[in-house]
Parts: sequence; C-alpha cells; structure tokens
Amino acid sequence: MNDKKTHRDQLYIIGLLNNDSIIIKEIYEKFAPKVIHYICRNSGNEHDANDIIQEVLITIYHQAQKNNFKLTCPFDAYFFLLCKRMWFNVLKKTSKKEVTINEEILSINDDASLLAFETIEFDERQQLFEEMFQKLGNACKELLKTSFTIKSLQEVADKLGVSYAYVRKKKSLCVGKLTKLVQGSPVFKKFKN
Amino acid sequence: MKEEEFTFFEAYLSEELSEEERLSFENRLEKEYELSEAFNNYKESYGFLEHKFSKEKATEVFTKNLSKISDGYFTDKKKTKVIKFRPWQYVAAASVVLFLGITMFNNFGGNPVYSDFAIHETVSLTERGNQNQLYLHAEQAFNSNNYEQAEQLFSEILVANPKLVEVELYKAISLIEINQFTSADKILTGISNQNSAYKYSAKWYLALSKLKQKKYNDCELILKGIPVNTDVYDLAQELLNAL
Repeated sequence: MNDKKTHRDQLYIIGLLNNDSIIIKEIYEKFAPKVIHYICRNSGNEHDANDIIQEVLITIYHQAQKNNFKLTCPFDAYFFLLCKRMWFNVLKKTSKKEVTINEEILSINDDASLLAFETIEFDERQQLFEEMFQKLGNACKELLKTSFTIKSLQEVADKLGVSYAYVRKKKSLCVGKLTKLVQGSPVFKKFKN
Repeated sequence: MKEEEFTFFEAYLSEELSEEERLSFENRLEKEYELSEAFNNYKESYGFLEHKFSKEKATEVFTKNLSKISDGYFTDKKKTKVIKFRPWQYVAAASVVLFLGITMFNNFGGNPVYSDFAIHETVSLTERGNQNQLYLHAEQAFNSNNYEQAEQLFSEILVANPKLVEVELYKAISLIEINQFTSADKILTGISNQNSAYKYSAKWYLALSKLKQKKYNDCELILKGIPVNTDVYDLAQELLNAL
C-alpha cells in the first residue's frame, strides 16, 4: 500500500493524532449519522452507536500513533466499514442467533476494505496483547510499566532498589513471558493462518 | 525460547550490543528461521509495551476529549431531533400514506408525478444553537415555499461555508422547485459522487428532479443505484414501482 497516494482525508487521521477537537467534531457531524442509522437498523440503538464510534476512533488513533498510518481511500468508506465490522462483532458476541448482516468488508477488494481489514487485525492483536499482559504476575507488570515509562534502566534500578543487571534480566524475562502467553493463545494461531 | 535468548534480544533492542555482536546477531537472523521468528515475536511484545506505556498519558487525554465530544454530539442530536431538517425523512413518513394513492393512480395508468413524492414539511435550520440571521431567513423562505428566495439565501450561506453539504442539498431542492434543473442536477450529481452522509439523499433528489423533467428512464436508472442500507431505499423502491 505504501506506493499508493495518500488520500486528502488523511487530515482526519492527523486531526485524531493531534487530538484536534474541531476535526473530531467534524468527523461526528459528517460521518456519524450514517453509522447511527446503520446500527439502529441492525438491532442496535443510539447508545450502541455512540460506543462503537468511540471504539473505532480510539482504534484508528492507536494505529496512527504506532504505524505511521497512511489513508489511501476516503475516510467515510474506511470509517463506516470499521464501524460495521465492530458492530458485527458485538452482535456475534451478544446474540445467540446467527448474525446475517452484510459482510462485504471481506469481499470487496478495494483500498477501504483492505485498510479496514488491517486496522481490525491491528486492534485484535492489541487486545490479545493487553489480555495477556493482564495475566502476568504483579511483579512483572510493575517492572514492565516502570521500565517502559522510564527509559533508562539505571534509573529504574535505582527506583526499585535493585541492580542494573537484575532489572535488565528481569525485564527481558517478563517480555519473554508475555510473548509466550501470546503465542500460546488460540487467537494468535488464527493470525498466523 | 530460552531465557538467554530473551536477554540477548533485549540487549539488541536496547542497543547495548557491540558493533561486532550486533552484526553477528543480524547475520544469524538472516540464516536461522527459528531464531528470526522468536525474535520477531519478542519484538512485537516489546513494541506493544513501548507503545502502551509511552503513550498512556496522551491516550488518556485523547479518550477523555473524545468522550466529551461524543456525549455533546449525541445530546445535541436528541435536543434537535424534533426540529431537525431532514426533508427526505418527512417524505418517508408521508410516503406511507401516499403509497396507497400512488398504487391506485397507477391502476388507472400514467406516470407518477413529482409533487406526489416531493413533500417538504416545516423545518428548522437554526438547530445546534445556530441563531445566525441568514440561516433564519433561509429557513423561513423555504418553509413558506418561497424557493426562489430560499435558493438565494442558501447560496449566500454557501459563500461563507462552501463545505456545508447539507445546505448544498437544500439549495438543490429549492432549484428543483423553481425548475432550474441544470443547476440542481449539477449540485446533486456532485454530492452523489462524494462520500458523505448525504450521498444517497442527493441521489434520491436527483431522481426526483428527473421525474419532474419527465425523464423517466434517467429517473429509474438513478433509483436503481440506491442501495438497500440507506435512508431513501424504501422511497426509491416505491417510486420505482410507480414508474
């Protein structure tokens, strides 16, 4: 995708990254009505739409922060597909009935669906890592938080009252533990296929 | 994966290896598939943690602001729901009543007419706390069926705010009313080709414009381009049936 031209709607991505209230309000004014309408027509209500829109915007924000995200299609199409897909996931989790809303996200081979697909996978991976992080012991969680917040391991060692070598080793073991937990999860195996 | 490997990965990512060690490790990564895979998995965890904690504060500020904007948007929406200017929604309600009439009309032959479908209820443009006089006058002109004046006032609003797609749409509706089809169709085609919340409403009105011009084939073609999951789908189907 990198050789493709950035769409002028990249301004919405930059606006989200900069936490620009004017741009965020514009996103709501321009793009929320369609999502609300869609969710209300598919077993949801405005409250659900509110949650989905926020969730999607936070996901886009995270992806943009991490991956230098480049939008190569109109924001409207990309955003709407993401909202639809997230709503589909909610319905799937909460409904015992078979969910039959359109799944064109997986069948339309265009920039919007490819980008939406990437973002969804990014989000699912983030969720998996977060879930596994919460499974670590408190000592590991605390050490990882401190060592990734304070960049200098020497400072971390001083703060925790232990040696530099100990912090370095412990940090690597905790990251390793998280890696193993993630790899052992069935969700991770799904990504590999 | 072995513990020593983790320590080594950590040293590499923290740039603590000597030049010689670094090159030898990179060389191994190229040749040893298992090591490379283990390293990439470790690196992904490392990247997740780095992002999680270094951006924690910024994410918190963003989430708070987003939640405020979202709540504001949905509260305003509730407040203005009754007076919101959505002519096509009124048409949707009215069309249920109209449907019988149209069906009966068709039983006697002939084509449906524009006035059967183009029903504009009393509306308000001064929602969202916008008390601008220009908006107020535009609204009054439109509501009193003075479409010539409404069209001029909508044009004035658009000079100052050319990106107001909603107002563009109202301008186009006014233009259809005063039979200025070329200008109306141009605006509506423009909106239909963009991705906005008004894309399909514009298509609907473009179809109505063609109906008023008695270009029934064009009308039918446009209506067929309105997809199922849209506000105006039911209306489009009714008109298609009537054609």
